[in-house]
Amino acid sequence: MEESTPPPPPNESSPPPPPPAATSGSPTDFLKGVVGKRVVVRLTSGVDYKGVLSCLDGYMNIALEQTEEHVNGTITNRYGDTFIRGNNVLYISAAEAL
Amino acid sequence: MLIFSVFKTLTDQTVTVELKNDLSITGVLKSVDQFLNIRLDSIKVLDETRHPHMMAVKNCFIRGSVVRYVQLPAEHVDTQLLEDATRREAAAQAKR
Amino acid sequence: MDPSSSGIQEPFDLIRLSLSERVFVKLRGDRELSGILHAYDGHMNLILSDVEETIMIVDEEGQGAVNIAKRKMNMLFVRGDGVILVSPPSRT
Repeated sequence: MEESTPPPPPNESSPPPPPPAATSGSPTDFLKGVVGKRVVVRLTSGVDYKGVLSCLDGYMNIALEQTEEHVNGTITNRYGDTFIRGNNVLYISAAEAL
Repeated sequence: MLIFSVFKTLTDQTVTVELKNDLSITGVLKSVDQFLNIRLDSIKVLDETRHPHMMAVKNCFIRGSVVRYVQLPAEHVDTQLLEDATRREAAAQAKR
Repeated sequence: MDPSSSGIQEPFDLIRLSLSERVFVKLRGDRELSGILHAYDGHMNLILSDVEETIMIVDEEGQGAVNIAKRKMNMLFVRGDGVILVSPPSRT
């Protein structure tokens, strides 16, 4: 309480600039940026799902639209919407410019 | 919690539990806990010739994590009730 | 906001909107289910009725020929840890 506290930084100075997309930023920033974009979701089994990322949650459960299932290079299924259980996800990759 | 409640309403009914090692056991559901561990009585293994070591077993405890499916008696499942309860639990989940 | 999303805020909304509808479920172990969804929870434990299960059995010696086994079940609890994906009927 009585310790000398440094004065708070001036608040009206310019806020930190937003990170340039796709070159830096936290994983969370990446995920926020990629919602609504075309993505590739690779599962640990090696199967890829390509589609538009509707949303995701903290477990990396994923909702995809216009989904194509790719098994070693060939399309094996198409789904309108898909829910992918997060534990199966290896990575999410942006398939278009952010 | 919802699924736990469903299993509780099915105690004393006959169910078939299919394990991840493909063993299928039919028996009377005696009890279930929050991990969906299951106790079965008067059990019968589907393919006894393939699992001869199970022939003398009359009741068992199944760890929830090794279960793949449980086939339920449809006549004792109120699907409308289930859907309403699921929506209610989803709404409660969304609030926190 | 996201323009392409159709009113879904979190992935589970997709499942909630599929209650009492026929869904496709892909499971570990080369299994697939088609059934009417009546209940689910946060683990993706499911209760389905009028279920058809398809099991893909790849024959290792036979140049990868795929055998398919099918069976039907009336009312089925599916443990969530085996679920890979759930696809609702296409909403238009």
